[in-house]
Amino acid sequence: MAVYKRTYQGYEGRLTPGWSRFLIITRYAYARVFDSKFLLTFLVSCCVWPAICAAIIYFPHNAGAMALLHPSARNLIPIDGNFFLRYMVWQGSLAFLLAAFVSPGLISSDLRNNALPLYFCRPFSRAEYVLGKMAVVVILLSAITWIPGLLLFGLEAVLEGSAWFWDNLWMAKGIFLGSWIWILVLSLLGLALSAWVRWKLAAAALLFAVFFVAAGFGQAVNNILRTDYGGLINLVELIRTIWAGLFRIKLESGLTEFDAWEALLGLCAFCLYLLARKVKAYEVVRS
Amino acid sequence: MNGSGADRIIFEDVSKFYGEVLGVNRVQLSIPPGITTLVGPNGSGKTTLMNLMTGLVQPSRGRVSVLGISPDEPERLFRKAGYCTQFDSFPKGLTGYQFLYLFLRLHAKGRTEAEQLTWKALERVGMVEAAHRRIAAYSKGMRQRVKLAQAICHQPPVLVLDEPLNGLDPMARAETIALLRTLASEGSHVIISSHILHEVDRISDCVILLTNGYVVAEGQIQAVRGEMQHEHPMQVLVRCSNPGLLAARLFEQDHVAEIKMHKDRQGLLVATRDGERFYDLLNQLVLEGAVDVESVAPADDDVHSVYEYLIGSDGGAT
Amino acid sequence: MDAKPVIELAGLEVRFGERTILDNLCGSLSGRAIGLLGPNGAGKSTLINTLMGFYHPYRGTARIFGYDIRSQIRQVRNRIGYMPENESFISGMNAVSFVRFMAELAGLPPEAALERAHEALFYVGLGEARYRKLEEYSLGMKQLAKLAQAIAHGPKLLILDEPTNGLDPPARQRMIRLIRDVRERDDLHLILCSHLLRDVEECCEEVLILKQGRIVEYCNLEEERRSNRRFLEMEADGDKEAFAEGVRKLGCECALAGERRIKTVLSEGVEIRDLYRLAAERGVRIRRLNYKRDSLEDIFLKAMENGHGSL
Repeated sequence: MAVYKRTYQGYEGRLTPGWSRFLIITRYAYARVFDSKFLLTFLVSCCVWPAICAAIIYFPHNAGAMALLHPSARNLIPIDGNFFLRYMVWQGSLAFLLAAFVSPGLISSDLRNNALPLYFCRPFSRAEYVLGKMAVVVILLSAITWIPGLLLFGLEAVLEGSAWFWDNLWMAKGIFLGSWIWILVLSLLGLALSAWVRWKLAAAALLFAVFFVAAGFGQAVNNILRTDYGGLINLVELIRTIWAGLFRIKLESGLTEFDAWEALLGLCAFCLYLLARKVKAYEVVRS
Repeated sequence: MNGSGADRIIFEDVSKFYGEVLGVNRVQLSIPPGITTLVGPNGSGKTTLMNLMTGLVQPSRGRVSVLGISPDEPERLFRKAGYCTQFDSFPKGLTGYQFLYLFLRLHAKGRTEAEQLTWKALERVGMVEAAHRRIAAYSKGMRQRVKLAQAICHQPPVLVLDEPLNGLDPMARAETIALLRTLASEGSHVIISSHILHEVDRISDCVILLTNGYVVAEGQIQAVRGEMQHEHPMQVLVRCSNPGLLAARLFEQDHVAEIKMHKDRQGLLVATRDGERFYDLLNQLVLEGAVDVESVAPADDDVHSVYEYLIGSDGGAT
Repeated sequence: MDAKPVIELAGLEVRFGERTILDNLCGSLSGRAIGLLGPNGAGKSTLINTLMGFYHPYRGTARIFGYDIRSQIRQVRNRIGYMPENESFISGMNAVSFVRFMAELAGLPPEAALERAHEALFYVGLGEARYRKLEEYSLGMKQLAKLAQAIAHGPKLLILDEPTNGLDPPARQRMIRLIRDVRERDDLHLILCSHLLRDVEECCEEVLILKQGRIVEYCNLEEERRSNRRFLEMEADGDKEAFAEGVRKLGCECALAGERRIKTVLSEGVEIRDLYRLAAERGVRIRRLNYKRDSLEDIFLKAMENGHGSL
């Protein structure tokens, strides 16, 4: 017989490695994010276009299927830069919607409920916090942009042979880099808005505004001042320029690739600055 | 105290329901001037009582009368009552001064009079230097003091203050308590609610204990405690040199209900149904030299113990 | 008693822009439970925030368990548990997820975090309610959840900022009891920041009083209680003035404090029995009698009047 008294006890066991702790935020965020049926349906629907693309890639290599088609219909859709550019545009748009749905609530709820001191009184830095939150968006967006993209490239390479692979490796590079710059811009912008705007809906609306209102504005500037530099605030224009450049498609618009990269990287840096301003354990109020 | 309604706040069989939810049930009270404290767990009906007193809600049943005025006549009632809520919200964009000034103008005071009364109230709460700064920039303690100023600025005879000491540092607490005492000594009715029971002991003339919408006790604490002596004998801790002998002598008395030896065997916890006779006996024993007393301390002669006996841990966290 | 200091302040100075908030704080604290007092705006929150590394010192530094807050803040944070004054929680989680999440962030592996989360919640007294979302909690329950997240990872230094804020009397009692129980552990130290002097008196052995960014008083309550046993405090029914007169005639200092208290200093040769005799003669009934040095309230008010000072 024994009587056990429950009392406070210290912890002497092992600790997890410091570098991996930012993923804890990601894990817990996913548990909540995947509660939403809407999101799950949306993610599934993001697989539709890659599936269609896979079919388009596969068909010309299947003799039986080709036999069914009219001879002039064969080779209708070449797997080239244009093909992947259209893939990027489509999935990139879906990525935008996904980011608009997932990112607004990430930081704003912590700020609203004053949870940041609880994070930072632990051996946890601000960079790790932002990284953890970013990973939530980055992993989801990766799953619908460059991962299926590279798989499609791989599929074609397997079907066409190694010569095709080496000749067109630049396309794989385009998929990878093009997706990553887009992911970076969307996630940082989404997080920055989430940190500065208290309400989820307002942050999401602002994300849309940043893209479309700025796009309209940029166009207006272009038309009025007869220049192309209005494009610098038009995010849609900027990413289009970069993707076109990566996939070696000629565009009529005047922005150079270099300008576009500069503008987007500048935007990312600005978002990081905004995050650094807001993600702090305590605000100092000047009276 | 005389029974006329003109100098009391009277609740006659008052009930208040919010739909099905109970606010207070069948409350019968007659509150005299002085400092009266409402004590009870969260959700026990304190705020409801305060709202009934200031006319912010109407009773579902029964009659409320504040210094003879019924809450049916809000014009007259609001002149006589000042209210300080527990919530920390203010109209946006105002300074402390503006907040009070506008409030006084709403009371149909002329410009000069409003200004004078504003400064007077600010002085009383010690907010004169910060008066022209925005309330949004105030610390919690300063906001609390501005709220208090707003309640007293039109010099009402009835003050209803919901947790007025919340967030105040010890000095501000002492100052506010002194202010409340002054107001009470001028004949005002000061009704406050508080969770800090040892302060309630020190400053209240009269206490009202509530739980689950019912009043379980009201009156002066000593009197209430005296009334309860039969079910809850008074406990006194006596530390002395010869506890065994003291216990033997005490057991001879019929009013002693229980004696417990303290853990370290250097003292006794005595439960007695008649405090007065106990003390007389103890004093006598000391004089006789039978015991060498080191300390004598009533263990449950305060609001805290009354609270424990009557309310217990009702309404605590599950 | 611990010989090794818990907190060492070495000329710590913190500024916000032009304003100096903490001014040249020096000293060493080693008690198990340290109280931090001071009027609003004295710098208590700033001191706590600086010790946790939220603000950078302008000059000087501080050490917690020997780790410098400027260069080794991660080691400091490894050993800290913090219970903030303001409402602090993560929406969309219940108490178990919340405490578990916080424990994992402090470095515990997931299984251990879950176990300790439940232990902590049981210890603070959150029963079935732990499976409900935090947004739905009452104030008292939110406070308990905050305490649970502060202790779940087994810190060596617990920082509690106004832990009894807004709690009704039974919940306050429970919180104080918890704090005192936690304090009994040999390997855990406590900093309690509160406006309620009673709470600090009940829980702490050392007290640091700040005013306008400086230390105006440091006081060891244990020693105060043990020192000079000739100070008495009484409560009595009857003619207290006459009683006080009589006490003075016996050669002892005597003063009436507040509405009912009588304070006196027994001089040589005067015993408690003499006081009782005097009481019987003057028809006064002594209801309470105990040894008391200055209460914390007296110490605090005196410190406020005296103004600036240092450890």
